[in-house]
Amino acid sequence: MEILEKDVKLSLRNLSKTYDGKKVLHNISFDVKKGEFLSVLGPSGCGKTTLLRILVGLEQQDSGEIIVDNKDISRLRPDERGMGIIFQNYALFPNMSVLENVEYALKLRPETKANSKEIAMQTLVQMGMQEHISKKPRQLSGGQQQRVAIARTLALNPSVILLDEPISALDVANREIMKKELKEIQRKFKSTMIFITHDQEEAFYLSDRIMVMSEGKIEQLDTPKRIYENPANTYIKEFVVAHLDQKLESLKRYVGKSDDEA
Amino acid sequence: MMKHNRSYKSLKVFILLFLVCSIILPLFSLIRNIHPSDVMKVISSTQFQPMVWNSLFTTTIATCISVSLAFALAWCINRSNIRYKSLFAVLFTLPMLIPSISHGMGLVLLLGDNGFLTNILGVNIQLYGYTGIIIGAVLYSFPVAFLMLTDVFRYEDYTAYEAAQVLGLNKFQQFRAITLPHMAKPLIAVVFAVFTMIFTDYGVPLAVGGKILTLPVYMYREVIGLLDFSKGAIIGLILLIPAFIAFILDVVKDDVVNSSTITKAYKIPMNRLRDGLAYCLCIFTVICISLPLLTFLYLSVVKQYPVDMSFSFDNIKKAFDLGVGFYLKSSLAIAFMTSLIGVCITYFTAYITARSKRSFTNLTLHLISMVSLAIPGLVLGLCYVLFFKGSFLYGGIMILVLVNITHFFASPYLLAFHSLSKFHSNLEDISNTLGISKLRMLWDVYIPCTKETLIEMFSYMFVNAMITISAVSFLANFKNLPLSLLIPQFDSQSLIEATAFISIMILFVNVVVKAIIFFLKRVFMREHTE
Repeated sequence: MEILEKDVKLSLRNLSKTYDGKKVLHNISFDVKKGEFLSVLGPSGCGKTTLLRILVGLEQQDSGEIIVDNKDISRLRPDERGMGIIFQNYALFPNMSVLENVEYALKLRPETKANSKEIAMQTLVQMGMQEHISKKPRQLSGGQQQRVAIARTLALNPSVILLDEPISALDVANREIMKKELKEIQRKFKSTMIFITHDQEEAFYLSDRIMVMSEGKIEQLDTPKRIYENPANTYIKEFVVAHLDQKLESLKRYVGKSDDEA
Repeated sequence: MMKHNRSYKSLKVFILLFLVCSIILPLFSLIRNIHPSDVMKVISSTQFQPMVWNSLFTTTIATCISVSLAFALAWCINRSNIRYKSLFAVLFTLPMLIPSISHGMGLVLLLGDNGFLTNILGVNIQLYGYTGIIIGAVLYSFPVAFLMLTDVFRYEDYTAYEAAQVLGLNKFQQFRAITLPHMAKPLIAVVFAVFTMIFTDYGVPLAVGGKILTLPVYMYREVIGLLDFSKGAIIGLILLIPAFIAFILDVVKDDVVNSSTITKAYKIPMNRLRDGLAYCLCIFTVICISLPLLTFLYLSVVKQYPVDMSFSFDNIKKAFDLGVGFYLKSSLAIAFMTSLIGVCITYFTAYITARSKRSFTNLTLHLISMVSLAIPGLVLGLCYVLFFKGSFLYGGIMILVLVNITHFFASPYLLAFHSLSKFHSNLEDISNTLGISKLRMLWDVYIPCTKETLIEMFSYMFVNAMITISAVSFLANFKNLPLSLLIPQFDSQSLIEATAFISIMILFVNVVVKAIIFFLKRVFMREHTE
């Protein structure tokens, strides 16, 4: 791999996990660069969500290390790892307003306690949510709720942001908007992001690199372009390349033709 | 921040210890206190067989009537187009606000040898005995069955009926294919719940049983009158049997249906005849419910029944001279503490079991929390006598609070458990990564989100603490007696007017509490939709 050591933000070494005798992660090792957007792409049950939960410390691996900024964080509690997580269902606190949701964790930390409100406001402004700060989550659309959830994570200034299929619950139109926005956020905040998805297009659109997983193993880890051009094995050919080709094919059939022909 | 989870863990240990001391250990002392020689003595006594027969006979008949009536009423409320449905529904649950023994007393006043109706109609139905026990038991138990069945009706999905109509199934086929399978399981649960309730109650048969002796009355007399704990414990074990079966059924029954799984509400077609019959049944029931209550009220304000029926506050004054005021305060204190402490403990237990990962401890907690469903109050009371006798708690007000909390534990616990289970587990993941402790989450997120459930739990515990005569009966003395237990005492001294006044007072307190709860709920609802 052509990543220089000084550029590495996060590094996984031989991570393994077994559930009820079934191995869900086999010796996973990979590096993520500073400010990189890495997608973990795979069908449901491939181990991608387990990987994310282990990264953030919600589950404990059986073996292997997680290294962030040259520090082994494998045994730290979730809140000591400096990572942020964003879920598909937003997981906002239902009884709190938008501002309170973002401010809550800031208030509990000694280092941000004093100016929690300013930080929260600032992040919400950057997410374009300043008009909605006093609303409750149930008064917001899915996309707006997800923006609040992102603001809540960004406000704590995490070193790595993990996104667990964050836009899958949105309708198609909003999904497109959020896709663009995620890219924008990453550019603005220069955050390192790990994006979990089962959607090939999302992964190809958003990522600097994509890690394709199946049955707890890494099938290929490379840039979208190179995965498409040089699929590592038949699995990649079928699950990624063939799928994208099919999409292209079906689009081509309709684009540039009159209604009668279609 | 996360160090606060240490206090969470110590609270969890406290809950576990509390449940072990308040349920498990007392149960063991019940079994330990049985003298093997007494078992044969009880079983072979001449009283035993008729007693078992009396209990089984009255309970079975009363259960059948009670569940049928409740089914019909729940059907009227949910499947007909009558008006004032919510008013009817509230009125049907009024009997739940007075002690079981009051239902017996009410029957005595109406249909006894010198009863109002007996005198007016000139017909004596020979109340004392099977007739009285069965009518009283029905009055006492049908509201519970009604509430349970209303839930079943409410959560029936109409989509299946639409599909059946498309397929051309007739009404009878629809009933067999959809209604029956949907109703069967909950109906069995209702039957067992009602059966247990009647089977273990001593209030009604004590008041109107006459010469007919049932198991709970026998147990009550053995323990209260003769202080024979061993014989009491043996009967207690027998009373445990149906409750235990009901408990197992309840644990096994896993189909939690609620509004979120419903896709379509039931559509009620127009039908004049059906609605007319529904009105008749509902109004008839309301009359049956209100007659005893009105009699209590009337009797409280006449000079001396049946000799001098002029208006006077003499009876009320006399009741207060007998110490009713003091015991009312005592009752309110017991009910208030029971509900306050009870809600805290049950809610926290539910928080542990509903909002953290499945583990052996959590599963154990869940099961012990529901065990109280399987222990009739009378049996629990005896367990407490045997376990706590001689301890500093014994004889004071706190032992009554403790036995009430344990007795009523399961229902508020399950309310909280279901309410807290509705939140996605990602909330815990988020709080973990943000570094918010479990107790903070409880205080800042879950409690504000479940205020309605909390007051519902409070109301349940308060009302039940006000009306209970079972678990507290063996533990109370003249210093800490709750108001409800004055009824059997005054009854045995033939102070009928005073018992009527007490029943009305308990009803009044409970109606006020229910009204406050209703008002608070409205306020919280408005907050939700603002």
